[in-house]
Amino acid sequence: MSHRYFACLFALVAALQVTSAIEAGAHPHVWVTVRSELVYASDGSVTGVRHAWTFDDMFSTFATQGIEGKKKGQFTREELAPLAKVNVDSLKEYDFFTHANANGKPVEFSDPAADYYLEWDPKETVLTLFFLLPLKAPVKAKDLSLEIYDREFFVDFSFAEKNPVKLIGAPAQCKLSIVNPEQMNSDLAARLSQLGADQRDPTLTIGSEYANKAVVKCP
Amino acid sequence: MSLFPSPLWGGVRGGGGDWCTRIAQQRPPSPTLSHKGGGSTPVALHRCALTIMLVGGLLLIAGFSDTASAQGSPLGMPRGQAPAVPIGGVLGWIFAKQAEFYRQFSGLIRAAKSDGTAAWSLFALSFLYGAFHAAGPGHGKAVISSYLVANEQTWRRGVVLSFASALLQALVAVVLVAIAAALLHTTAATMGRAVNVIEIVSYALIILIGLRLLWVKGRAFIASAKTLHRPASVGAAATPLDHQPHAHCHHDHGRECHHDEHGRDHHHHHEDEACAWGHAHAPEPEELGGPGGWRRGLSAVIAVGLRPCSGAILVLVFSLAQGLFWAGAVSTFIMGVGTAITVAMIAAIAVAAKAWAKRFADTRSGYGMLAMRGIEAGAAVVIIAFGTLLLTGYIVTERMVGI
Repeated sequence: MSHRYFACLFALVAALQVTSAIEAGAHPHVWVTVRSELVYASDGSVTGVRHAWTFDDMFSTFATQGIEGKKKGQFTREELAPLAKVNVDSLKEYDFFTHANANGKPVEFSDPAADYYLEWDPKETVLTLFFLLPLKAPVKAKDLSLEIYDREFFVDFSFAEKNPVKLIGAPAQCKLSIVNPEQMNSDLAARLSQLGADQRDPTLTIGSEYANKAVVKCP
Repeated sequence: MSLFPSPLWGGVRGGGGDWCTRIAQQRPPSPTLSHKGGGSTPVALHRCALTIMLVGGLLLIAGFSDTASAQGSPLGMPRGQAPAVPIGGVLGWIFAKQAEFYRQFSGLIRAAKSDGTAAWSLFALSFLYGAFHAAGPGHGKAVISSYLVANEQTWRRGVVLSFASALLQALVAVVLVAIAAALLHTTAATMGRAVNVIEIVSYALIILIGLRLLWVKGRAFIASAKTLHRPASVGAAATPLDHQPHAHCHHDHGRECHHDEHGRDHHHHHEDEACAWGHAHAPEPEELGGPGGWRRGLSAVIAVGLRPCSGAILVLVFSLAQGLFWAGAVSTFIMGVGTAITVAMIAAIAVAAKAWAKRFADTRSGYGMLAMRGIEAGAAVVIIAFGTLLLTGYIVTERMVGI
């Protein structure tokens, strides 16, 4: 009796493992090159993050599909305004993929300032979204980290090659460093595969492992 | 079977064969003996219920993992809300490959404008991408697999269903972009809304298919459960030899089993596929094995194939913008072929696994039969769960922003 029971169960589990495991292998459909500025107030507290996100050409082409520019193949900020609104509105649900920690505590952001806009680069045929993400409450931080990543890898974020993060108005003693993404290695893969779907290993934030990270130390 | 290179199948087929022989050897010599242990003891019933609950739960989990990845999107493209993406050895590799292939599309489409040979690279890439990407969400693997499991379908039919749905999916993407973008010059947002309507129809169809299956399989399950309480033997034993595996059906389940177990090409499968696929006696139910079966299969094909893949739409729109729509269209169909191969393999694994489970269930009757009916009903529930989650996922998120 129990023999059949287990065999039957095992067969199903095997089948489901195969299906559901393979099922989860999604991949990014959008690539974003990130340039960000950390904006400081005169008292040395961080007030917000100003992002410039450049989308990949395929996505940019798709997004601008059907938008009529006065000049063929070119779009002005005004022509792109409705699209920018759609982008910003939908990104709200994902907290703009922006994760910041001040002195070890997560930082909360408010909705972006209304001056966001999209720009079209006719040479590269890519869109860049500019927006300012203000902190809910400005914070003075000895130790500040900024990461931009999508935990689900639908959007693949990476820092621009040159000066991806700038400090605007930061106290002179503040030092910025960029931590390069950890490459996917077998060790990490093994640790990740040990995690359940709703489990969070505090030492291991999925997605952020591959994210570029900016760290600002203000002693 | 020759469709698949054996290295891909080595494990599964080999394993199936082993179990098959073992079970064949264990098979009781006479049908009457097969009642042994299949009786209606409370313990048996209890275990049976437990099995079904476990299986149902697992299927539901699988359903969640599938649909979770196919909901709303931050930028207007189907994407998931699953908390995490598992990145393991093989999966991580599949994941990395997909992304790698996908990123090459735009460059190759651009190159194909001036260089004819780049088009061939583009097509080769499309095939690889399709095969790898089918592993991603939204390609109906789970629905197709559950459908096959619930229906006792053969792996061959699984292959046909997989190809039909993948090619329909490609066709929908091409037609949609041709009409919306090339002819009507609609915006990405409008196109997104069109995709959304298609999705709702598709998900609703999936629910309908699941409900219909649950109606049929749920009743079969209940009937099967009832027979457990009846005194088992009604004589029997006069069954022809080649029906031996079914013998228990005749007396245990009477009408119900006759109805369900005796497809028209039962003998064909019996001889043809024998043990390798565990299909020695996995006949198709009358309602799906007959001529009408293809029509019902078609409903699954449409439900799954209606929803175009977002990757294909992006490739099509991009190639349109580059003035190479035809290349994008060909590329989309080749992607469909790649997708179909992967989906067919997964579906075949599900079918084989079920056939395998069935072998165990069939070694003795009653309880085993009940478990099989339970699995089928469970698979029907999974289909309903998929459809519902997909549908409500849309309604709740409503993020069809068209980017």
